[in-house]
Amino acid sequence: MVEIIEETKGKDGRRNLKVAKENLVELIKDLKSKGYDHLSLITGIDRKDRLEVVYHLHNMKENVYVVVRTETMDERMPSISSLYASANWEEREQYDMLGIVFEGHPNLKRMFLPESWVGHPLRKNYDLSKVQYVNMDEEGNDYATFDPGDGW
Amino acid sequence: MVVEGEKIDQSREWVELNIGPQHPSTHGVLRLKVKLDGETVKDVEPIIGYLHRNAEKLCEMDYYCDSLIYFDRMDYVGAMNMELGYLEAAEKVLGIPPPERAQWIRVIMAELNRIAAHLVWAGAFGLDLGMLTPFFYCFIEREKVLKRFTAVSESRQQTNYMSIGGVYQDIDDQIIYDIEQFTEEFPAKLEDIFNTFVKNDIFISRNKGVGILEPEVAIDYGVTGPMLRASGVEYDVRKAEPYLVYDKLNFDIPVSYKKDNLARFLVRFEEMRQSIRIIKQAIKKIPDGPYFNPKAKKSLMIRLRGEGEAYARTESSKGEFGVYIVADGSVKPYRVHVRSPAMRNLAVLPHLAKDVMIADLFSISGTTDLVFGEVDR
Repeated sequence: MVEIIEETKGKDGRRNLKVAKENLVELIKDLKSKGYDHLSLITGIDRKDRLEVVYHLHNMKENVYVVVRTETMDERMPSISSLYASANWEEREQYDMLGIVFEGHPNLKRMFLPESWVGHPLRKNYDLSKVQYVNMDEEGNDYATFDPGDGW
Repeated sequence: MVVEGEKIDQSREWVELNIGPQHPSTHGVLRLKVKLDGETVKDVEPIIGYLHRNAEKLCEMDYYCDSLIYFDRMDYVGAMNMELGYLEAAEKVLGIPPPERAQWIRVIMAELNRIAAHLVWAGAFGLDLGMLTPFFYCFIEREKVLKRFTAVSESRQQTNYMSIGGVYQDIDDQIIYDIEQFTEEFPAKLEDIFNTFVKNDIFISRNKGVGILEPEVAIDYGVTGPMLRASGVEYDVRKAEPYLVYDKLNFDIPVSYKKDNLARFLVRFEEMRQSIRIIKQAIKKIPDGPYFNPKAKKSLMIRLRGEGEAYARTESSKGEFGVYIVADGSVKPYRVHVRSPAMRNLAVLPHLAKDVMIADLFSISGTTDLVFGEVDR
């Protein structure tokens, strides 16, 4: 049995379960075996001093939702991409936007931005005044630079 | 089940083909890295992000009422459904429910928009397969929907019609009459369009049995909407978790058990017929009353403060469109996250396009109904 730190009810009426980072994979595995077969959403939230990750799990047959919340202090989270195929792209997106490193992910690359982009845009301390330019190299891959260059 | 990274046989010779980002069959700016063995596709890697504007960050920087325009520009062929998705979440956070009349107006607009979005998809899908004629028929009918949108919101595509606590302006009898007229005329036109597709032998033989998507795989990948229903899963957010007044309306969820491209085509056409059914009922039942909540007067809108957090799901034309808003008591949201159905539907493409012919790759990617404003956000 996984230890649940706190159980609350959200404004939208969904059950919220808060667990420690170490117990996350075990809890989600447990929920999946109980019929929560659809991973609806993974959201990372920058709480300034820590990063919060929220999983919305959905049981398609019985049509019930559960929200699993966990926190990390060191930007690292265990990956659940071996449990849900859809977690693969969602974890890549959260890595791209917030810099959460999902340990055990098979292909942790940026989802939208080029690999050489500096910073993670959805962090609260991201510097919006620094303009980065995206260019294309000879092989057709994108790269980001601070230099406007001739193309611009 | 792994999307990428699965090794292909290295001893055989293969060609790596780069398709896109600018390619007519990719419906926008999708780049596909395809590994080909002769004409057989061995591996596909979709690369996205060419239309990325980071709408989520823009939402964090704006007032609740201003963020609506970024949602218009997500699924730009289904703007009303996108607005609805955002407002369902934002109104829960702000505590401003829309009045009864506004809810019925929203249902009518959302269903009209579903028809328009499916017509764009049908026309573009025909083009993917080399059929030019249905495209024009589809767009003529779509233009009639957009004419009604222009009448209510003074804008064709990026309507910005719904607003927090209601709609931007009331619909009068003339508009209701116009919409009624459309629902009378459209079904016959829809059958014409339908027949131009299904009476074509080439169309049938290119789609029947191609791109089989098993229901377990679909749920595992987070596929929703018409794609999931074409795989035999009877699941629709409008029925499963009714929002607005969908529980007072009588309609069916089209389901197909054939799981292939043709099934997805048929499900989308049946959805249009059901949408007409919904609009016809809604026009008859629409009550009188205020069209916006007085708490959300236009002059007060930027002072609205959100509290708590909410995740709202709606059924857009692509699938389950979810918006998750975290508020911290200020006039701007703390975090907005969007569940893009088209992105999940694209994620399953490498699985669907394994060991198919290169020509089938485009009929399969056509049926996933990609709109890149929404995939990239």
